[in-house]
Amino acid sequence: MSSQARGLQNFISDLRNAKSKEEEQKRVDKELANIRKKFTATGKQLAEDGSNNSLNSYSRKKYVWKLVYIHVLGYDVDFGHAEVLALVRSTKYSEKHVGYTALSLLLRGDDPMMNSILNTIRKDLTTPGPTSSKNNAPTTDTAQSLALCSIANITGLELIQTLHSEVQHTLMTKSSTPCVKKKAALCLLRLVRTSPKLVSGKEFVAQMAQLLQDKHLGVLTSSMSLLYGLATQNPSEYQSLIPYAVHILGLLVLKKACAREYLYYRTPSPWLQIKLLKFLQLYPQILSTGQENDGQDQSIAQLVSVVSKILTETDVSDSINKSNADHAVLFEAVNLIVTWGSSGPAQLREGAMKLLGKFISVREPNIRYLGLLTMAKLAQLEGTADSIKKHQATVLVSLKDADISVRRRALDLLFVMCDTDNAERIVDELVAHLVLADAAIREEMVLKIAILAEKYATDLRWYVDTILKLISISGDHVSDAIWHRVVQIVTNHPQGDLQAYTAATLLVAASPRRCHETAVRVAAYVLGEFGFLVAERPGMSGEEQFRILHQHWATSDATTRAILVSTYAKLANLYEECRPLVAPVFARCKNSVDVEIQQRSAEYAAMREAFSPEAVEDLLREMPPFEDKKQSALEQRLREKEGEDSAAVAKAIRPSAAQRQRQQQSQAAARAAEEVAAQQAAEQNARNDPISPISDGSPGAGQLDRPTVGIPRDVIPAMRKAFSNLCTSPSGVLFENSLLQVGVKHEYVGAQGRISVFFGNLSKAPLLHFRAIVDDQDHLKIQKQGTQGLLDESDDGGCTVAVRTQAKLLLLVEVTAPFDDAPAMRVMFETEEGELHEYPLRLPIVATCFMEPVTLEPGAFMQRWRSLEGQDRECQEVVKAPPNAPAIDEEYMKRIANIITDGLKFGRCQGCDPTPWTVSGAATFRTGSKDANGNNINVGCLVRVEANPQAGAFRVTTRTLHPLCSKAVKNVALVSIKLA
Amino acid sequence: MAISFLLMVNKQGQTRLSSYYEWISLIERNALESEIIRKCLSRSEFQCSFVEYRGYKVVYRRYASLFFIVGTKLSKDGNDNPENELGLLEFIHNLVETMDKWAGSICELDIMYSLELIHFLLDEMVQNGHIVESNKMNVLRPLDLMERESQKAESIYR
Repeated sequence: MSSQARGLQNFISDLRNAKSKEEEQKRVDKELANIRKKFTATGKQLAEDGSNNSLNSYSRKKYVWKLVYIHVLGYDVDFGHAEVLALVRSTKYSEKHVGYTALSLLLRGDDPMMNSILNTIRKDLTTPGPTSSKNNAPTTDTAQSLALCSIANITGLELIQTLHSEVQHTLMTKSSTPCVKKKAALCLLRLVRTSPKLVSGKEFVAQMAQLLQDKHLGVLTSSMSLLYGLATQNPSEYQSLIPYAVHILGLLVLKKACAREYLYYRTPSPWLQIKLLKFLQLYPQILSTGQENDGQDQSIAQLVSVVSKILTETDVSDSINKSNADHAVLFEAVNLIVTWGSSGPAQLREGAMKLLGKFISVREPNIRYLGLLTMAKLAQLEGTADSIKKHQATVLVSLKDADISVRRRALDLLFVMCDTDNAERIVDELVAHLVLADAAIREEMVLKIAILAEKYATDLRWYVDTILKLISISGDHVSDAIWHRVVQIVTNHPQGDLQAYTAATLLVAASPRRCHETAVRVAAYVLGEFGFLVAERPGMSGEEQFRILHQHWATSDATTRAILVSTYAKLANLYEECRPLVAPVFARCKNSVDVEIQQRSAEYAAMREAFSPEAVEDLLREMPPFEDKKQSALEQRLREKEGEDSAAVAKAIRPSAAQRQRQQQSQAAARAAEEVAAQQAAEQNARNDPISPISDGSPGAGQLDRPTVGIPRDVIPAMRKAFSNLCTSPSGVLFENSLLQVGVKHEYVGAQGRISVFFGNLSKAPLLHFRAIVDDQDHLKIQKQGTQGLLDESDDGGCTVAVRTQAKLLLLVEVTAPFDDAPAMRVMFETEEGELHEYPLRLPIVATCFMEPVTLEPGAFMQRWRSLEGQDRECQEVVKAPPNAPAIDEEYMKRIANIITDGLKFGRCQGCDPTPWTVSGAATFRTGSKDANGNNINVGCLVRVEANPQAGAFRVTTRTLHPLCSKAVKNVALVSIKLA
Repeated sequence: MAISFLLMVNKQGQTRLSSYYEWISLIERNALESEIIRKCLSRSEFQCSFVEYRGYKVVYRRYASLFFIVGTKLSKDGNDNPENELGLLEFIHNLVETMDKWAGSICELDIMYSLELIHFLLDEMVQNGHIVESNKMNVLRPLDLMERESQKAESIYR
């Protein structure tokens, strides 16, 4: 190596020997102080430019090198710039060289120092050094080269404006040596990058063509960089240069015409090839629009043959370098094929696919990585899905690769190749892998799984399950955006039983003492909104919901607590028994240090006093559906992470078939809701009913093919009332809208019942394909008879109900076991306009229908009452009288007693009620099943209603041998009392 | 499509040469370098030569105790095609071969003690983040000239 400054070498040795960072810092500080001293003149004047002219050339160079070295080590160097400039101004080459190098390393283009050096740079750029004498010939371009190099590496706006014409001129002058030309080309590129308007394509394209005909490969390489840079800014202006690029490519690939020094392991300059192929990728349409003239045609034919030669003749060779270089070109060629898309020859696409399939399973990790990367690009093309799916197994294996880079790419590819067919498998695999995946990749995986699950869920319950799994496996990486999305989707899809299912699932998920905070948040929100849908299920009453949520209170942070507070308010509104539980929480939170929690709890607590009950109801009603934004927050995040053009983002934006269908469904439902809203009066307090008249049975099979109109939300309150009425009366209307009226008549003897259902057509046109489907129940034996076709479950079956006529359904039932819900019935039909309707209803066949009254002596009643005391055999709930009801007097209590005796079919036990404020009764629940002795199994039931006239409330207590019976009787009693 | 930075780092993780082709502030440089170096050093030879980090695609290659690390921006704005990975990998090799040709077998000390010449050589090969020259002869000719001229007492280079 060349001779060096001794002092610099010593300095470097010292730093090398430094044992710690502190020692190094100390040495650097010492050196900086020394240099600073040298640079400030001692006793003498500084030169005009601020440099110390007493320094000799050697030491100035030495100290500047030291500064550069210190700078490269990562220390801040904020002085000595004047010395650098002095070196640049020097006429000696060695000084100039050091000066320019330091200039590009130490200074920024917008440094004020730059102005003072502009003229020197210009001079260096335009005057080709000392006139060339014979022995000195190559020196002519040295200063030029240095200047260009520096301009390219540092750019300030002023620099560009002053120098760009000089640079351009240098590039095009015949007398410039190749060495200067190539530097000028890249220098110009740099300038153009910073201010694109400098070069106009129309004028420059001819000069570019001239450059592309240069024989010097170095000049070609940098010219291609320039061309690529220009063409990315404005592709159409440079389109005419395609034949030149193809020509060069043809020379390199087909003829292997290349100077020996440019062969890299026998491959003709791979970097130039790469640049040419990248340039061609800017023109995805050339294959389809290239019919304009013959020249273009010819070169396109040549291009296709070049690409196919690269594709077919690239082989693995012994030398890793040769192999890499060839594959570099090959991957670029495949990229070109990808940009052509379906306009390119199919043969090439298949060839590329085959190659990539091979690559993703080779041992060489680099090739595997690039194979996966490129395949993800290819997967975006139409019609490649099937051939890519063949490799699904291999890609899944790559997900477990030892190398995180490869795993990332596999994840990316899986994301892109996922569609409705394979979504379930891919998502399950990803979730399974998430358990093992390391932290670096988890967040990305979670995000992608969430997007896929949402996109390709044919059943949204699966989506909810998947997100829950994500939370339990990797809750820390489930961002707010993900669970917000769950809430949005659940809220916006009232069809089917999604909301009830989600509420139930989340309640179970939040049950354990330890569960992730995110799970608590979703559970809290969803239960607040849809908890009432599951409140009648065992172990899921309002009180239970509160208890399960509140066990997490102590471990939750402020955000979660704020959500919990709102949920508590909603629970307290719905369930009387929750109020005393919630009140102390609110009372404590009124003093919370967190402003949000404080405000919420204070407002919720004050709400009841401040507003009318109706207003409170309105405030705490479920949230309206969310606005469907075009781009979900998740996609936004993905975009931030991966950039605009990544395959993953392009994929995420396209709505999947499943998504489109869901959207149509919710739109149809929204339309139907609007129509009916005008006719139906809103009913207050509707959500208080513990038994829902709406079935949560799964949607019909045919539902997914076409948008289906469900039950409009506004009819629901009226339906609840009708249902509650029917539970205690022998006949009535179960459902009514503008098209259809469903009436029910039912009578019971012991364990058996006979239910007639009438479907009346109220519209002005026949209802087609009318079907009523009653699902079989575990606890009921049901025999069905009905109008011809009514019970046919197939899509095109069913009967036609003409205008103003009825279809009939007769059910003969026998109860076999205690139960606490009501059987579901799905009513489906099609209007003449082809609109599909599906109403999930419940039949009012409840436990109390099968009661037989028992008259007991007061003593016997009290004895049994006490013997049945205990957790699961007793049910108790407090209910307020409706706000518009009269005060509770003896008349009122008589009505209550009638409900117990006539509606619930209990025998009144007068002796047990010393005051008018209690009603006690007993009954037997008869079932059709036999015990070991062949006797029918019966369950004894006791009920007691205690009124509190001052508070306007009733307490209902039921005690039976069977927990389900207790609950069922309590529920029916509650709803009936409210109607009294 | 451009190289953002090039680093030469020893096995202990000390940077021996760094060259940036886009402006990154000093603090960021330090953070970026140390993180990328840590990532590269921790990888085994059976893993691939590409690492993605903070929006950069990093291509690295190891020669005995020296790591050559090239970083290129992952495309962000949609119209910029990222560099060809294998192309960069082989460019590193070409660079090393060029250095070998010039100074015999290149080692860490050579890079440290003739920093300016390595920079010069690198500038001949990469400019503005783009590969200018892959022909070893063309790269080395100016270096040769410089060395020969600097021997003469009365030359313009002195």
